[in-house]
Amino acid sequence: MQRLWRSAENPWGQEVLIGVSWDLMWAAVIGAALFLVGHAIWIKTRPAEEHAAPATVPPGIPEKIERHSLASRVFHWTMSVSMLALLVTAFGPVMGWQFPWVQIHWMAGVLLIATVVYHVIHAVGWQDFWSMFKVDVGEGRAHLKHVLSSKAPPPPKAGKYPFDHRLYHHAIVVVTLAAIVTGVLMMVRIDTPFWTRNPYLLGDAAWGVMYVVHGLSGVALILLVAAHIYFAVRPEKRWLTWSMIRGWIDRDDYLEHFDPEKWKVGGSSGASVESGGGRSGALADAAVSAPRED
Amino acid sequence: MAEKLIGTDIAPPDLHAKITGRAKYAEDFRAPGMVFAKLLLSPMPHARVRDIDASRALAMPGVIDILTADEVPSREGPREAALTNHPRYEGEPILAVAAVDEETAAAAIEAIRVDFEPLPFAIDPLESLRPGSPNAYVEGNQYGQEGWSEYKWTAADFAAIDRGEFPDPECPVEWSKGDVEAAFAESELILEETIVHQSLTHHPMEPRTNMAYWENDRLYAFVSTQSTQATKFALAGALEMDPEDITFVSEYCGGGFGSKISGTTIMQVPALFSRKIGRPVMLRITRYEENYIGRARPGFQSWLRMGFLGNGKCNAIDLIIVQESGPYGASDFNTAGMIADLTYTPGNMRFRGVPVYTNTPPKAAQRGPGGAQIISMMEPILEKAARELGIDRYEIHMLNAPGPDVAFGPRGTTLTSVHAREALELGAEMFDWEAKSALSGQRNGTKVTGIGIGLSPYTAGSRDRDGMMVIRPDGKLYVHQGIGNLGTHSIADTARPAAELLGLSWDDVVIVWGDTSKGLPRSTVQAGSQTTHAHTRANHAAGMDALRKVREVAAATLGGSAAAYRVDNGRVSGPGGSMTFGQVAQRAIAMGGEYDGHVLPEDIHEQTVPAAQMLVGQGLLGIARDNYGGEGSIYSWVAGFAVVELDVETGAVELKEYLGVTDCGTVLHPRSLGAQVLGGSIQGMGMAMTQRWVFDPKWGVPFANRLYTARPPGMLDVPANLRWGSVGIADPQTPVGAKGIGEPPVGAGAAALTCAVADAMGGKCLCRTPLTPDIILAELEGRPLPFGRLDQHVG
Amino acid sequence: MAKIRDMIPAFELLQPTSVEAALDLMDEHREEGWVLAGGLDSFDWFKDRIKRPSAVIDLGGIEELKGIREVANGVEIGAMTSLTAIERDERIRSRFSIVADAAHHVATPQIRNQGTIGGNVSQDTRCWYYRSGWPCYRAGGNTCYAAAPQAMNREHCIMGRSRCVAVNPSDTAPALIAVDAKMIVENSGGPRVFDAEDFFIGPSIDITRMTVMGPRDLLTRIQIPATWADADFYYEKVRDRGSWDFQLVSVAAAFRKSGNTIQEARIAVNGVAPYPVRLEAVERRIVGSTGDEATAQAAGEIAIRGAQALRHNDYKIPMMRNLVRRAVRSVA
Ligand SMILES: Cc1cc2nc3c(=O)[nH]c(=O)nc-3n(C[C@H](O)[C@H](O)[C@H](O)COP(=O)(O)OP(=O)(O)OC[C@H]3O[C@@H](n4cnc5c(N)ncnc54)[C@H](O)[C@@H]3O)c2cc1C
Repeated sequence: MQRLWRSAENPWGQEVLIGVSWDLMWAAVIGAALFLVGHAIWIKTRPAEEHAAPATVPPGIPEKIERHSLASRVFHWTMSVSMLALLVTAFGPVMGWQFPWVQIHWMAGVLLIATVVYHVIHAVGWQDFWSMFKVDVGEGRAHLKHVLSSKAPPPPKAGKYPFDHRLYHHAIVVVTLAAIVTGVLMMVRIDTPFWTRNPYLLGDAAWGVMYVVHGLSGVALILLVAAHIYFAVRPEKRWLTWSMIRGWIDRDDYLEHFDPEKWKVGGSSGASVESGGGRSGALADAAVSAPRED
Repeated sequence: MAEKLIGTDIAPPDLHAKITGRAKYAEDFRAPGMVFAKLLLSPMPHARVRDIDASRALAMPGVIDILTADEVPSREGPREAALTNHPRYEGEPILAVAAVDEETAAAAIEAIRVDFEPLPFAIDPLESLRPGSPNAYVEGNQYGQEGWSEYKWTAADFAAIDRGEFPDPECPVEWSKGDVEAAFAESELILEETIVHQSLTHHPMEPRTNMAYWENDRLYAFVSTQSTQATKFALAGALEMDPEDITFVSEYCGGGFGSKISGTTIMQVPALFSRKIGRPVMLRITRYEENYIGRARPGFQSWLRMGFLGNGKCNAIDLIIVQESGPYGASDFNTAGMIADLTYTPGNMRFRGVPVYTNTPPKAAQRGPGGAQIISMMEPILEKAARELGIDRYEIHMLNAPGPDVAFGPRGTTLTSVHAREALELGAEMFDWEAKSALSGQRNGTKVTGIGIGLSPYTAGSRDRDGMMVIRPDGKLYVHQGIGNLGTHSIADTARPAAELLGLSWDDVVIVWGDTSKGLPRSTVQAGSQTTHAHTRANHAAGMDALRKVREVAAATLGGSAAAYRVDNGRVSGPGGSMTFGQVAQRAIAMGGEYDGHVLPEDIHEQTVPAAQMLVGQGLLGIARDNYGGEGSIYSWVAGFAVVELDVETGAVELKEYLGVTDCGTVLHPRSLGAQVLGGSIQGMGMAMTQRWVFDPKWGVPFANRLYTARPPGMLDVPANLRWGSVGIADPQTPVGAKGIGEPPVGAGAAALTCAVADAMGGKCLCRTPLTPDIILAELEGRPLPFGRLDQHVG
Repeated sequence: MAKIRDMIPAFELLQPTSVEAALDLMDEHREEGWVLAGGLDSFDWFKDRIKRPSAVIDLGGIEELKGIREVANGVEIGAMTSLTAIERDERIRSRFSIVADAAHHVATPQIRNQGTIGGNVSQDTRCWYYRSGWPCYRAGGNTCYAAAPQAMNREHCIMGRSRCVAVNPSDTAPALIAVDAKMIVENSGGPRVFDAEDFFIGPSIDITRMTVMGPRDLLTRIQIPATWADADFYYEKVRDRGSWDFQLVSVAAAFRKSGNTIQEARIAVNGVAPYPVRLEAVERRIVGSTGDEATAQAAGEIAIRGAQALRHNDYKIPMMRNLVRRAVRSVA
């Protein structure tokens, strides 16, 4: 059986973990590819979803609805750049692309941490932090049914952040935090301006766990990021992707995809564009955002 | 007239075999059915074996068996066993595997899983005296009559040490003489230094390979050891068996430098393994293994205070030595204290010493043990005093060197003879001190010249051994030597007095050595520079016995009084005529009694008796104990003179010139003496300048465990025209006048260089070894050293 | 696994007689194969059982890899030419004396008789943590034991480190950079030519290798173009003892002068980084000068810019600075 981790003998001849097996990386790459292809085919086989736009446009809904403030967008893209840089610098060399990657990797990591820290502070201080972690079982069941059978009734519309986005967010939070915590500790072992490097801060066994967790989260991120990019470029999701670039969605998309009761914009609710979605939008539609479920 | 043998160059009898490759070292022996063993070494500096799983190894084709610690003698306290389940240094042997060939044995070792529990360890001895620091043993770090205890200095001691002060700790070993404090009060100049002398492995050319088998209940051991007869008895002791049940072969030994004085620990493995499996077992020790089990010189961390009167006379010494003793102890520090007193004759001295057990490979005497370390570190301080007091450095050596009235150490030890000053004098003359010392500090481009002198004493003899020899019917004298043959020529050279007494030409002398089945008398260990002195005496005594018997046999055969017979050129002649030694031997056999060994002298050692009995009836037996007696210790001296060039931009030091002049009594064999004086000096130069041993403090394991990383000196580290000389004054207390020479050159070579380097640095003594370019350059460039003044095992 | 040292495990010995056959074998065995030249580095690895190739491809029987030839534009040295042959070769001694000089500084005569130029430039680092078989970065692990706060790293690098702090041990490498040698590396895909300075790589690029060569690459020849023939050369190596010792720091420099003025220079230093370092900033600084003391001083300072010591190797900074100064001074 192919091992899932790599181990070595430490100077005292004791077996210690040194990381995940790189086969896992290939497995993730292949898995991601299979998922994408599979999903694309699967979508093709499904009847087109019909979203009847409401006959009447409720009053006070502007034509362009701000979904992501400029700050949110800048953060989203900063984060994506750092994440991609991290993945490329992590796995490129393993795949055989030789270049000086270490410094870029840890610098990108520091950038990622900065964005996450900002995001967490923002989410805790200015957003309804806990709503992100509410799990509505009923909602989940409805989504699952709909996925399994196109005949099942479509699940209820979501507020600003749809159900799948929140699921994705959960996954990415766990994986990214794992990568960050282990990554920061691992920085103790290399030359950075922050401290003198010290490979002996932790014992061999503890380091082994760090490396394995870091490796696993890296591999998981291959899958998550691949899926994210894939959905971002899918035609039916492009309006969302555009919103992460332009900042707004148009009224039709709003009415088609969202429940105005859950994501209030415009006059009737009294919430302005700004107070409704804009400020809450935080970073990304999916990557790491805590949506506001007003 | 027979040739004069003492003082001439005669090639040793083993020369041909060595240079043609016919000489058989332990590893060259084979026996029918012989198998090979390999050792499993501890990967940790201190550990306990929890479990051994050898099942995979034992299932491998060709693997015969395993020998574990439970099957070898173990002993209480800090004493070494051949195999252990409680390793106390990285590299300590845990078990052995035997297989039909070495590669299989190696693969089997790799297949064995040993579960080790790592334990706290101590590498730096001084650190392990700090309160709360780990000890080398689970039970403590000191072993006495009441068993184990923990010995630490106080926090206040360490506060003083950390402040860079001269500490005042309590030490387990302490002696003083005179009134040290009062003397310091009178001193014009007081120098205070911290000293670090590194620990170094011995690196003999031949690792301690050995082979053994049993026939019936007799052990046949083919070993690598410095000594022969003494090692056989040590091995018998280790195996708890009758020495006469051992046939012990050690005809050649590729060096030991003190690490194989007996070296019996590892010899137990093939002996016991062979008994267990019923087949001959060869244990070839690799260079790598030798680095661990092959012993090391103990390192010192030390504080020294030396007081001087205005005229340059040292009048007080206060010396504290912390010794790295390894897991099984060493006593260099005691000798170091004695030698400091002997060399500088301060009159007032306080010595304190702490031997500290550490989890570093075991220590043993290394050529000039204790003396070489302390001399190489103190001589530059003496020279510093000369500089500060405005005295010529040669003069300060002369002024402080002992004369015949010396009484040193806590018990006022005296010497049989001492010509240290004569050695210095002759050296200064040969070296042309006046002209050379004018070069001191001269700059040529980036190179600065430094000149240094090192004066180094060491014990050089012992008494009371037995000599044994036979004149056989072939007319030749067979001198049976129980000492070992580690390349010093003493097996042959110490036979010369007997041959000379008997008027024989060297061609008629046969040396019998290295195989106890041939009958070897009780001898000194081949160590401590003892053999030249001890065995010229013993062979002189036995030669006298043989001479008496030759004359008596001649008189009995030819008539007349024995006293009237003279020997020359293999004949004995007198009033009744003349007969050959061959005829004498035949007559002796016929006469029996004491003449052919049927009756042995009462006073020979019991170890000699069985050996002598092997020779009974084979010819005229000359056998005697050395009863010449004597008073005082026997010491030899070497004064080393060096010129170096220090490149101030790289820190590199080049030795330009070296001269070693010795006082070792009568010169037996000039060429061999020169080889000892210069070879030992070079060894000391390596110790001072290039050689090293480094430990990683986190893992407690040594590096520099390859010859190229350990850097013993090579031939390009010394100029081609090294010179030597000898004062050649006979020791009055020994019939031949010769003293030993093995040890003292090491300190002389080392000290001449430490002094010369300090001189090239304008008198700055770094007071640690090795003096490699890095620390010299750091000093010259005013950059901080990367380690603490007292750190051990760095560099 | 219990450690056994100083015993070479069995391997299959393959002895091709042509480069082509060697390349085929290397393709066949890839990571499992090992190219053997003089064996002075290789056998150290084998006998410590740390590297255990299943097949050893001995280049000793390939005649086309041996010898020194004059070519249109300089000389060409076959990878299997012994260091002794290079040290003694009249053409090299007279025109590129720095290369002969560097070869002469390797270890001992015995090692130079056996060691090849190809092996010398391809040899692995001598970091003793790595050589002890510890699972360091270079060995595929994730620790640099030599850069730990208490580590024994007197002989390690002061620049160019990236996790690994080992140094390149080759004496000939800086000399080859100084004469702008070209390294011809072949694999079954054909030959590639590298400038000597690009042939050596640092750990930031590939922490497990010292050169650009992968397991299927063979260094076949080294060409020394005539560009630097008969230039003024300076070579110096500082080591702990007079023989049988790797460098602490070494410097190799080539100067072209016009009158008393330096027109062009190439300077490389080894022992300070995981690869031999070419000092282009120093070269720029000294061009146009006469190698006077002020220039030498400045050159030394420029050379050590950015150098950063580990715990035990601070001395290498002044040593490198001084050697560069000396090299520049040698022109004056
Ligand atoms: C004790 C000792 C001291 C030394 N001191 C020094 C010193 O002071 N200075 C110094 O420069 N060197 C020194 N060396 C190194 C020695 O001089 C050799 O040059 C070096 O070890 C490699 O040469 P080799 O021909 O023996 O190659 P090998 O050991 O056979 O090969 C070395 C490496 O290069 C690879 N290789 C060899 N040839 C080729 C090729 N044509 N193409 C691709 N890969 C190849 C091999 O696969 C191997 O990995 C020392 C070596 C020892 C053992």
